Amino acid sequence: MARVGVFVCFCGANIADYVDVPQVVEEVKRIKEVKFATEYKYMCSDPGQGMIRDAIIQYKLTSIVVAACSPRMHEKTFRKALSDAGMNPYLLEVANIREHSSWVHQKDKKAATNKAMDLCRMAVAKSIANEQLHEISVPVTKRALVIGGGIAGIQAALDIADARIPVVLVERSPSIGGKMAQLDETFPTLDCAQCILTPKMVDVASHPYIELIPYSEVIELQGFVGNYKVKIKKKASYVNFKTCTGCGACWQKCPVKVANEYNMGIDKRKAIYTPFPQAVPNKPVIDAEHCTMLLKGKCGICAKVCDKGSIDYTMQDEIIEREIGAVVVATGYDMWDPTPYEEYGVGRFKDIITSLEFERMVSANGPTNGVPVRPSDGKVPKNVVFIKCVGSRDEAKGIEYCSKICCMYTTKHTILLHHKVHDSHAYVFYMDIRAAGKGYEEFVKKAQVDTGTTYLRGRVSKIYKKGDKLMVRGEDAQIGQVVEVEADLVVLATAVSAPKDNPNLARLLGISYDKYGYLSEAHPKLRPVETAKAGIFLAGCTQAPKDIPETVSQASACAAKVCGLFAGDTMKKDPMVSSINNEYCSGCQNCLNACPYGAIVTEDVAIGHGSKDLRTVAKINEGVCQGCGSCVAICRSTAITLAGFTDSQIINEIVSI
Amino acid sequence: MNYTKEIQDIAAKLFAEGKIDVFVGYRVNGFDDNQVPVLITDPQDVSKLVFTDKSVFNLVNYLKNDHTRRKRVGLVVKGCDSRSLNLMLTESQVKRENLYVVGICCEGVVDEAGQKMQNCTDCMVPDAVVSDELLGTPSGSDTLSGSYKMNADIAMLAEKPLTERAAYFEEVFENCIRCNACRHSCPLCYCAKCCIDQETATLYNGANTTSGAFHALMTWSLHLAGRCVDCRNCEKACPSHLPLHLLHKQNESVIYENFQEHLAGVVTGDRGAFYKYSLKDPDDFIM
Repeated sequence: MARVGVFVCFCGANIADYVDVPQVVEEVKRIKEVKFATEYKYMCSDPGQGMIRDAIIQYKLTSIVVAACSPRMHEKTFRKALSDAGMNPYLLEVANIREHSSWVHQKDKKAATNKAMDLCRMAVAKSIANEQLHEISVPVTKRALVIGGGIAGIQAALDIADARIPVVLVERSPSIGGKMAQLDETFPTLDCAQCILTPKMVDVASHPYIELIPYSEVIELQGFVGNYKVKIKKKASYVNFKTCTGCGACWQKCPVKVANEYNMGIDKRKAIYTPFPQAVPNKPVIDAEHCTMLLKGKCGICAKVCDKGSIDYTMQDEIIEREIGAVVVATGYDMWDPTPYEEYGVGRFKDIITSLEFERMVSANGPTNGVPVRPSDGKVPKNVVFIKCVGSRDEAKGIEYCSKICCMYTTKHTILLHHKVHDSHAYVFYMDIRAAGKGYEEFVKKAQVDTGTTYLRGRVSKIYKKGDKLMVRGEDAQIGQVVEVEADLVVLATAVSAPKDNPNLARLLGISYDKYGYLSEAHPKLRPVETAKAGIFLAGCTQAPKDIPETVSQASACAAKVCGLFAGDTMKKDPMVSSINNEYCSGCQNCLNACPYGAIVTEDVAIGHGSKDLRTVAKINEGVCQGCGSCVAICRSTAITLAGFTDSQIINEIVSI
Repeated sequence: MNYTKEIQDIAAKLFAEGKIDVFVGYRVNGFDDNQVPVLITDPQDVSKLVFTDKSVFNLVNYLKNDHTRRKRVGLVVKGCDSRSLNLMLTESQVKRENLYVVGICCEGVVDEAGQKMQNCTDCMVPDAVVSDELLGTPSGSDTLSGSYKMNADIAMLAEKPLTERAAYFEEVFENCIRCNACRHSCPLCYCAKCCIDQETATLYNGANTTSGAFHALMTWSLHLAGRCVDCRNCEKACPSHLPLHLLHKQNESVIYENFQEHLAGVVTGDRGAFYKYSLKDPDDFIM
């Protein structure tokens, strides 16, 4: 006969305000298997856990029900309390009367109480059929995968590798560096981005514990925390990196000119190219979409001029497989496309540019050698209007959120403009100035004084052309009047948006993403680095817009998480895994297809005692199984059982209400 | 449609070449001109084989039999039969290399009264989709012939409100005697032990009552949803003459409509709508 103990938590006022806890206790006491039931203000606290430990011994309890918050929150805490009292920890059931009852039924205390009683009855019924289970140990592959070679990926890779853990760093483009490599100077100290970034890029390339795989993409991830298998597609570069010295003869002679992505299309690059002179690895690749040799079979100049014979037009994409234990996702961000702002004349007027285009122009290694010019006639602009929140904080045309970095980089742009064109004047249309960060407010204040920039609080309603100037019409809300500013150049501080490929990547990795396409963290406050899938971590703007200091902090946090994960040789794993009844298994292999973790294989078993005739049945790899139950649901012959969620446990739950 | 001679020749040749251990075909039952399945193991019996429009049964069902398991089998399949064979292959129940399949480009079979069967008038896949040798003239189209036809009786049922539909089936299931002939006659009911029969089964009501029949047949129809090929072996086997196709055709029409015009067993390796995930799957039922 089962002897169940029930412990109902007030959770301070979280549960008690909306659920009549004493009534719940009285109700569960009427169940004949319940030998002890009580309530407490904070069941998770030390006195609360003490009550559980004492009752287990005093009342000889055989299973425990804790009615409190979500098991995601405190299941582990209470399991430990059971262990401490000498009881198998998996004899615990948690009834979630907080998230599932008090929080969602705050307007109706009676209904919330009734639901809490139902949830407790179900948990008691299920716990009666609970069985003793034991933790599983699985080995760990101590190698980390970092996806994305921007500053986030670089920092995470370096920190993990410095702990002598091998890292595989996968970057989609031919060079690491990411968006930061495109920046000129960085707020609030105006360090040159190249000067602080490129040494780190070199460190990545030369680090003995980092394997850098550029020009590649992750195409498949299988397995589970500690034991992932990743497939990486290495795109054909058509250049043998082993023999190439990076001399540059090929791209100097290449006759094909293509818009240069690194310079935001302001100038041209060749079809065989390195993205920028400081690229790592500093080896060229051939852009197969534009190379005439690859498209039409004519040209071949680069192969002729290459002394080393490094050009190989027959090179194919290659699939690389690696075994890894953890993943850091650092895919960065995209700049939001301002096309929806038709009233600004985006696309019609050449002298409206985005902030990253401006950044490239004022950059010392940029296409105009650090001098901003008007794209229409190449003249140096005198009056420059900066418009903030283009796309950000705009529910109608853009995105609801604040992109966080635009206030600061626009301030930086006014300074850079002032440095490069001394007799220029900047106007900034803004909604608010958000300068929360160490040294940020001081930076903004100083810039305003030093540059003499005119700040106009209000949205721009229209931009139109007058002669060769642009007329920017907007509201100055502080004087309550419409103002018009004559501009030589207009710079749009476009929003930060999630990488377009993030949803695909999220599906490939089996993690979740939000409505904007940013990857979701496990908990916004207490687990901001982890995803809901164990062993996958997030760094940088792929989770939400961030500036460089925050990105670097999060990347280092990821590294700490990875090092913690790899601290032991094996990992403990919950025993809620599936098992197959060979007698009932018909070998249809539907479960193999249903399993999202690749945890099921087939094996041949003898039909009867001593029989040499074999039958094919399914077999579960306990280490890989995550206990999701998909196989149980899909099995027609009910040959699969999930420990901790057996048919009899579930049926008990259903018939109890 | 008469391929008696061709099939006798093929079977004789296969036995002579030692390619098969058993040939599954049809023979005349001996009382009237209706036919029953026959398993030929002796080459001298080949002359018993016939094939006409009275060859109604789905012989794929005999591949789950111990007389054919792990043996080399020759067998005759019509369009619908071949689709169930396709599913058996996909679900790893038979090995293709152990089979010699005589496919028929079927012109439709008739019931005992000589009327063309309803599933034949609605048939979209008359030609065998799996075969080593094809008899007859293919209907021409590579894929499906004709458009999906909603049975009149399904349309009638679909229009009824839920309570009336439940009442209708309750009346139908009252006549079920739980003999499980439907299950035994279905080529895709090959489980080692049916979930309904398991001693430890807590989910299923195995009683010989109307509710037990309801439970069993509904479970059965769901386990065949997206897999049933509408061969109607179950209806032919049912001693109570229950209109079992209603359960399956209803599922089939819903799946055809919602899962990119999916028809069971047309493509080898396709496990059916419920056993694969596609981004195109409807998800409007998720809040």
